[in-house]
Amino acid sequence: MTWSLGEIEVLTRKATKGAGYEWGIAEEAGKAVRWLCAAGLPGADALAGLLTLNDGRAYKDCCPDCAGTHWQARGGVLCPLITGSAICDRAGMLALGDRITLGKVAFPLLLVPYIASASDGAGRAISIEWPGLTMCRADRCTTIDATSKALAMGSCDTVTLRHAKTMTGTRVRRAYRGHISEQTRLVLAEFAQRTYAPDTPESRLSGAGAGLSDND
Amino acid sequence: MHHPEHDTTIPPRDPAQVMRLARMGSFHQSRLSFMRVLLRRLKSEHWTFEQHLFNIDARGVGRAVYCAHGPDRSYSLIAFANDLPPEKRSDRVIATEWDATFTLFDGIPSEVDLDRLQDNVPKQEAGRVSEKELSLSRANRSVRLWEHVVTALSEGRQPDTAKVRDVGYLMRTTAVYGSGKFGAADREMIAERPEFRAPFQVEMLSVFLTRGFVMDLVEHLARQRAPDTAVPLDPDLRRCFGIGNSTGLGMAPFLMTHPVLINNWIAAKETVLARVRSLPTATQDDAALFRQFSVRAMINADTWTSSHAIQIEKLADLRRDMTLLQTHLKSADLTTDMPWNRLWLWAEANLTLEGQEQTAALLLEPYGDLVDDLSQRMDADEQESWRIDGAMPVAVLKQHIEAIYDWALDIDWTKDTANARVWYVSQEKLEPRIGERFEEPIEAYEQPLCPGRDAARLYTDLCACSDDLVADVLLRAPQHRHILRRVQIAARYPYAEIRDNTIDAKMLPIDLLRAKLSFFGACHFDPRSDRWVRINMFKHAPFPHELVNTSAEGWAYPPLPEGTR
Repeated sequence: MTWSLGEIEVLTRKATKGAGYEWGIAEEAGKAVRWLCAAGLPGADALAGLLTLNDGRAYKDCCPDCAGTHWQARGGVLCPLITGSAICDRAGMLALGDRITLGKVAFPLLLVPYIASASDGAGRAISIEWPGLTMCRADRCTTIDATSKALAMGSCDTVTLRHAKTMTGTRVRRAYRGHISEQTRLVLAEFAQRTYAPDTPESRLSGAGAGLSDND
Repeated sequence: MHHPEHDTTIPPRDPAQVMRLARMGSFHQSRLSFMRVLLRRLKSEHWTFEQHLFNIDARGVGRAVYCAHGPDRSYSLIAFANDLPPEKRSDRVIATEWDATFTLFDGIPSEVDLDRLQDNVPKQEAGRVSEKELSLSRANRSVRLWEHVVTALSEGRQPDTAKVRDVGYLMRTTAVYGSGKFGAADREMIAERPEFRAPFQVEMLSVFLTRGFVMDLVEHLARQRAPDTAVPLDPDLRRCFGIGNSTGLGMAPFLMTHPVLINNWIAAKETVLARVRSLPTATQDDAALFRQFSVRAMINADTWTSSHAIQIEKLADLRRDMTLLQTHLKSADLTTDMPWNRLWLWAEANLTLEGQEQTAALLLEPYGDLVDDLSQRMDADEQESWRIDGAMPVAVLKQHIEAIYDWALDIDWTKDTANARVWYVSQEKLEPRIGERFEEPIEAYEQPLCPGRDAARLYTDLCACSDDLVADVLLRAPQHRHILRRVQIAARYPYAEIRDNTIDAKMLPIDLLRAKLSFFGACHFDPRSDRWVRINMFKHAPFPHELVNTSAEGWAYPPLPEGTR
């Protein structure tokens, strides 16, 4: 069975919110995992791993200090969703030729769609690298060269972002359906559950606005 | 062509005037409505239709397939008909069985496809479809009308016209799911096809074919009951049947979660209204056409019934407005000196919101050449507009908030009435609901559907902080990320934001529903509460097999009475 990309986006957005992130971050996380699944990459697995790892962690502990060209987290491990959003927000400001290194970051695969968006927004070629993976984005095309170990990595000590001078790796082809393992789906569904309000008899009746007979 | 350069000396209306809930809740269908866009295309491209399979027994149980063949592709409505006991019939999302269930299939289904879908489509939300399916929907019979029509036809007579007019449909759809729901194809899989570029064309095609199926079904059951005496419906009366729809809160958040798309719908309508108002003169033919449509709109208002207090009052307004319009038209000059702008200014000064918005829709009727091109610009690339501009100075962001959310900055958010509601999603049915913040334990589950309050909170924070750039604000205060994105979108797309408090104690969700449904092309909005509305779709439209010999335009208002046509 395959999933529509819309289903994946909705599930992952809710799961991210359920894990304690703000709505704006969760919205971008949903789009990020959708992008990864459309590229045939295991984004949903990475998000399930990240949310499990970061459940209950404070924002300030895993957000980057973006003052210089080496970004790291006060609490030791950067969150890729927060860091990815920060990269996008600074896409236009990162000067051509600049290089940014990230300190230890969890599930670095989740950074990839944000780099793609930053490249599109800034209109310049950007690459992201960590041991076993290089991804480049230019003119709205993505190339990737990665080992399966690098894709599934739970954390990585250094990630480098830079202006990409050449495109390396295989061009990513777009898919219109996504795959999520049952185990991952269950993890994400459990986080998503936290965004749903438990029903009460009152909410069933008034919340959706029934009460009148509709059998006519 | 009237004016190929589309002179617009009159600018489009101010979003601060248009994007108020009371006005949005008074919108009417127009030439730009998605049903009308669909039928224009089906007609101009010479689509053909066939009943590919109709295997339904005397109790009304079985399956049917209706195919629509376009220039490049075919689509099939697959219908599973059921014989539902009355106690199981409910329009609400909590229902688990329906009189009929449907899917729009991409192509022509094989037996294997039909068997697979037979196991899933009747279960609706509890089933699963695939990328070969483009929509998923269901419908229930109108108990008020169904048996009356079957009985009359089986006895060889036509049903009672007054009864038909009173209800308006034989089956009422509820949710019509598209765009990747329950495993169906994502919109991006089909958005490049010309026939689906305009919004909601999959859903409208599905409903258009569903209406044809329902009429075939009722005639079939009459024939099964009394093969010797049964007659089909008279074609003119047959066209008086639309297809009903019952819509609840599930649809309301859409208007807030797709700001660029909503902007494009409203901007299209406001642009064409400005084009028409800017015409320096009009021909006698255009003036006559407008007069004719305005009479038909009056008939529409007269035949539109509702038992809901709010709508009863609005209908009284509309009928009074339509009478005032007729009186005004007796002596009005509709051909010289910017006639339509003068008429519009008269409407603004003399009519209620219902009448003003009806007039806005009527003004588009004579001018297909000024209007119809914009129907192909009502889709949206929501991806590109999504990215936040982190380099925007905080001072500029504040100016945008002051310009777009001035109404929200004027609200006293410490008052309970300003924060009375919470939008949330229920655990049981995963449906959007609205509740009372100070009476129910739901605040922890609040959805971000209150842009006014959130913009005011952001503004307060911006006034107190020393950040220079948006990127700095967002790193420090990620709770503003959602609304900040909206502010930037609304700064670029003037009609993207609703300029009203969506969590106010007096907010009416039906206003949101009507705004969206009017763009679908619905008529006869009949609220059943402040958060649930029934409508009629494709009423008076030609049936698929009639399109070849009839106009695809002009059907959206009731016909003039015999002898006055």
